[in-house]
Amino acid sequence: MLKRLLLVRGAEVALFLALAALPLAVTSPYALGLLTLLAIYGILLIGLDVTVGYLGQVNLAQAAFLGLGAYAAGVMVTRYGAGIPLALFVAGGVATAVGALLALPALRLEGPQFALATLSFTALTTTALNELEWLTNGAQGLSLKLPPLLGHALSKREFYWLCMLGFAAVWLAMRNLLSSRWGRAFEALRDSPIATDAMGVGTYRHKVAGFAFGSGLGGLAGGLYALNFEYLQPHGFQYELTVILLLGVVLGGRKSLWGAFVGATLVALLPNLLSNRTLFLAFSAAGLAVAVVAGARGLLRRTLRPFQALSPVVATGALVAGGLAVQNTEDWRKAIFALMLFSVVVGLPEGLMGFAGQALARLFRVAPPPLPPPAPLDEVLPARRPDGSPLLVLTGLKRWFGGVRAVDGLDLTVRAGHVHGLIGPNGSGKSTVINVVSGLYAPTEGDMTLRGAPMPRGSLFQAARVGGARTFQNLQLFSGMTALENVMVALHGAYRVPLPLVCLGLGRAEERRAQAAALALLDFVGLLDQARTPARDLTYGAQRFLEIARALARRPEILVLDEPAAGLAHPDVVKQVELIRRIRERGVTVVLIEHHMDVVTQLCDVVTALDGGRKIAEGTPDEVKRHPKVIEAYLGAVEAAPAAG
Amino acid sequence: MPVSFIVQMAVSGALMGLVYALIAYGFQLTYATSKSLNFGQGELVMVSAFVTLSIMGTGLPYGVVVLLGLLFGAALGLVVERTGVRLALEQKSEGWILLTIIIGLFLFSFAENVWGRDDRPFPTPIPADPIHVLGVDVTGLELSVAAGVLAVMALVEAFKRLTLLGKAFEAVSADRDAGELMGISATRTVMLSYGLSGAVAALAGILVSPITTVGPTMASALVLKAFSVAAVALKKTGFGVVVVGLLLGALESLASFYVGSGWREAPGLLLRLLALAVRPTGVFGKAVIRKV
Repeated sequence: MLKRLLLVRGAEVALFLALAALPLAVTSPYALGLLTLLAIYGILLIGLDVTVGYLGQVNLAQAAFLGLGAYAAGVMVTRYGAGIPLALFVAGGVATAVGALLALPALRLEGPQFALATLSFTALTTTALNELEWLTNGAQGLSLKLPPLLGHALSKREFYWLCMLGFAAVWLAMRNLLSSRWGRAFEALRDSPIATDAMGVGTYRHKVAGFAFGSGLGGLAGGLYALNFEYLQPHGFQYELTVILLLGVVLGGRKSLWGAFVGATLVALLPNLLSNRTLFLAFSAAGLAVAVVAGARGLLRRTLRPFQALSPVVATGALVAGGLAVQNTEDWRKAIFALMLFSVVVGLPEGLMGFAGQALARLFRVAPPPLPPPAPLDEVLPARRPDGSPLLVLTGLKRWFGGVRAVDGLDLTVRAGHVHGLIGPNGSGKSTVINVVSGLYAPTEGDMTLRGAPMPRGSLFQAARVGGARTFQNLQLFSGMTALENVMVALHGAYRVPLPLVCLGLGRAEERRAQAAALALLDFVGLLDQARTPARDLTYGAQRFLEIARALARRPEILVLDEPAAGLAHPDVVKQVELIRRIRERGVTVVLIEHHMDVVTQLCDVVTALDGGRKIAEGTPDEVKRHPKVIEAYLGAVEAAPAAG
Repeated sequence: MPVSFIVQMAVSGALMGLVYALIAYGFQLTYATSKSLNFGQGELVMVSAFVTLSIMGTGLPYGVVVLLGLLFGAALGLVVERTGVRLALEQKSEGWILLTIIIGLFLFSFAENVWGRDDRPFPTPIPADPIHVLGVDVTGLELSVAAGVLAVMALVEAFKRLTLLGKAFEAVSADRDAGELMGISATRTVMLSYGLSGAVAALAGILVSPITTVGPTMASALVLKAFSVAAVALKKTGFGVVVVGLLLGALESLASFYVGSGWREAPGLLLRLLALAVRPTGVFGKAVIRKV
């Protein structure tokens, strides 16, 4: 515990103390300007990392948000005589609001479409800044003067401290945010957006919130940028800057605050690096050496493909050769960025800090903080007393895919407290029924009610919110997260502290309670000793149990299990039957799709058999098993069958 | 303002719009086979135009020059595929977005330093004199753009429908895995699509350069608009992009006249953002049914 505090927090404190003390030693205005720029870029890159690192999208709009924030602050100061706090507040606020507006349509898209949308936004912003001359003074540029702070005119050094204070605050806020449910939600939605929605977390709203937050940080950085340079021009915020910012995040290392710092240092120092030829040659030679060593190691250990190992060597080699051949390296600025970025993206995808972080973790082995004891199960999954009344009622439910009638007029009543089995041959519509009920598909026609109230249609997220929870036939775990975190993502009603307070670090007590609650559920399914194991490293059987624990974290009224025993070894099947019994004893209603007939027979109160999207039989397991239509559906019609006897 | 003047502007704009359509068609080709596209396509257009200009300096006949230019474009398309796209596709990641942006940046800087930052004229044997057609003046250059665009698109579509290689192309576009199982190499098909896309981009550069002149920044605006066209056009074939390209070109030409020339780019960008808001299921494709 102490070691962890010393190493991890100590490094952060040392960094900021050093940065704060630097201007006492370095007095040249030029160096001070670079340090100020470093702080501003630090804020900007932490913001960009939210989308590029945590949401995993290529965001080409961060330069535009820097520009928006800068101009917002500039206009506030020149037109309305605003002071520093108000100007910065407006800068961040405008960027957050515009970011949310852009994100609403753009984040319904994935990958290339999102990148295109942000690219268009950057181009549009530059056009607007250029053309709205009455507001921005157009291409002539906007001059402003740094206003005094609380009546005190700031020196350059004091302004630097202000920027550094901002950087430190953003760093802290981001760290608190990432270790909270927000960080887990970001992680989860990259792993499985469908499961994130199905666990009632809301993929889309978290993406929009994340993008708006990152854009807001861009705006804040823009405000500081305007106050620092006291002169703005639209072309300073174009596409080229966006690419340089991406270089910073990728080279420093995605999903890392230290990475953002390293990236910011690089971006701030880049112009110097390029203007000094000796420095540039030394730097690119070092890059070449790293590429050769890393490439050779990767080839020998077979962790890299030949292309991955060789092309960074070629790219950095071109840097060295170019540095020797070309007179003025600054003219080739963009090509140099391109070669650097290319080497990093191909050869070192986790970036410098990702790489260094792994090495440091091996060196120091800091133990994670100990876990709290599991909470009492009655608090986490309170026992209900089901009354056997109709809970889930489907009437005339239809779901067609073009001409395929996957579900074709189904009436079904699931009673509270029952385990209700759904059986039928492949393609009979079982999975479609629960995909409609759980909100993955909207029904083509028909009604669904839960305890008499209409169910939301076609929204996994809304369906989860009204009390449904499900597992998936093809597992949809958050594979990069631990078992404990998987359950914590889904925990219902555990998180009440609002976002701003979480950023201030006031969510820790709640976090401990959530851990305890999630541990209780892991204990319930028998995975307590694997709480810290990443989900992808669990055995297949354990993954199935983990999905059930995660669904139970929703405190569901109705739990839908989609072939939970598929592919399980016999001992696991026995354990699972027993687990489903215990779930029922706690009063949770279960809908069970299953092909193992013995599992169905042992567990179910009522079984419904489907074929061709319609109900063909319903009753106790034994009645249904003997039903002639069921036998026909599974085995085919027996032509001219002799009379039984 | 006489109506004929407005018509004149709309027609000139629409003919330029065909160039957007051609570049957008290049996007469609690669997107069909690999669900990826070259974010540096504009730099490909520009570098191909510069190279064609340099070849022209040797005094070869115009037809040969154009052919060599197209070959260079195809080769550059293959380079983009090899260095920027293939690795990401193998890893099933979206790394190609960043990598093609990077390659574009490199080509831009390369052109800036090799051919200079200034715009240069691009000589052509096609006459620039206006011809009077149905009450509207069009130049031979503009007509050559239209003819070139439509001819090459018809050629590629015919190739896809009539040759065995073209059918393999369509098969991989429809279902990559199924195509592989039928013995079609998906990697080669993706290469083919990038080669074709590069040649199409080079053609766009050669056709538009006599009108706009050649310079490092000539294509960045073109490509943004081509993105818009590809985003709005519904179909996977060339027809959709032609219609949308014509419309966007006309719209732009009118917008720059009525609102101000600085806003020339705005209709395309707004169209893009609007298309995203209205049809979020997919810019290039159709709604996909999610499966779990």
